[in-house]
Amino acid sequence: MSSGTRINRVLIGLGVVALAAATAGTESWAEAVVGQTRKVELPRQAEASAAEMRDAYRRPPAIPFPKDNPYTAEKMVLGKTLYFDTRLSAANLLSCASCHSPAYGWGDGQPRGVGHEMKILGRRSPTIINAAYGLIFMWDGRAGSLEQQALGPIQADVEMNLPLDQLLGRLRSIPDYKPLFEAAFPGSGISAENIAKAIATYERTVVSGHAPFDAWIEGNEKAISDAAKRGFVLFNTKALCSNCHGGWKFTDDSFHDIGLASEDIGRAKQLPEIIKMQHAFKTPGLREITHRGPYMHNGMIGTLEAVVEHYNSGGVDRPSRSDLIKPLGLSAQEKSDLVEFLRTLTSDSFSTTVPVLPR
Amino acid sequence: MHTLKISMLVAFLSGSAVAVAAETAVRQKGRLFTPNEITVKKGESLLFVNDDNITHNVYSASTGNQFNLGAITPGNSTPVTFKNAGNVDIFCAIHPSMKMSLKVTE
Repeated sequence: MSSGTRINRVLIGLGVVALAAATAGTESWAEAVVGQTRKVELPRQAEASAAEMRDAYRRPPAIPFPKDNPYTAEKMVLGKTLYFDTRLSAANLLSCASCHSPAYGWGDGQPRGVGHEMKILGRRSPTIINAAYGLIFMWDGRAGSLEQQALGPIQADVEMNLPLDQLLGRLRSIPDYKPLFEAAFPGSGISAENIAKAIATYERTVVSGHAPFDAWIEGNEKAISDAAKRGFVLFNTKALCSNCHGGWKFTDDSFHDIGLASEDIGRAKQLPEIIKMQHAFKTPGLREITHRGPYMHNGMIGTLEAVVEHYNSGGVDRPSRSDLIKPLGLSAQEKSDLVEFLRTLTSDSFSTTVPVLPR
Repeated sequence: MHTLKISMLVAFLSGSAVAVAAETAVRQKGRLFTPNEITVKKGESLLFVNDDNITHNVYSASTGNQFNLGAITPGNSTPVTFKNAGNVDIFCAIHPSMKMSLKVTE
């Protein structure tokens, strides 16, 4: 079949309805044959009750670890040590924690990341909070697991700029690392795979703290204000937020163009044929959100109030923009209530200790 | 898993006969492909039905059966006919948690 908007041959040989024009929005890519899009009747869906809305936000009971990299305390300790060690960068100046710091909600507080030789990177450093529950990683989804992700920035020339063979040589030259690796990976030694597994294990333990919102979900009606409660209802209804930021971690791990004026094509670098992936980025979670500004993939919005204003405006209208992004018509009170709600997602006891590094 | 067969009545040009072609419907409600494992014969079709409340994409990059349905809004369905035998991995680009496996046999 030829490409472009084209005539699709459906049910070849059967006759009169065998030819149908491809519908607008149907993109070709095509070895399988795409037929004509047609309407179907859908039953009207009942709106969720307030109780049902709240049930969708209950915290899970335990952190999930993958079968091929299960949790051990020794692995976590090694991973934490590596995570905070600046010797994982060419200049000995940057660690994972430099850009994903507990001091800034496990980001860096900058609009965009800062890499090797102070180079300003293209996107904001994403938080690692709740990465254990993630499905796909990086703003554009180019990493399929935390283990895969962990080694990327170390090697990237604009980030930590340290080739793996040099990294392994460095770690093997630091005597105190040997027993840490032996405890975490008995008999298997210092390897790139073990470094990735250890860092990923530690990252999975970075889970958002119990926030006022959680207390409210669990039944404490006084845990959040009436304004925040109104904001929660708006979040799940008129403001359309929960379509992408639904669930206890407040992300669908999916990709959307939210109408930001940016040249960055995002997920389309991986899936260039799909229009909706142009300018699409992975939905970030909203936990600990007040510690995590500035916001968006490039840090272009500085406050939660301005974030809500962006969504209320609908942003740039273009073919790739998500169908869920459109002018919302929120009142000043509604916008204020939404921000009040968002502030309840930050816990008051979310901190960590920094390890003493091996010598 | 429940499988829905949708039949299309197709009139011959002569008007003297009616043939029935079956498509297996793959629904998308709740951000899930249902069913998510399916086998069809070469030349048969799946009908991708967006019975969810949000827009979905459906695509496959599997050699021999590539396709991309762009954006399918709720209440729309699109048939895809598979011409080559093989295993086909199908995804929603917007929602990577949506994935299904198709086997196309000779």
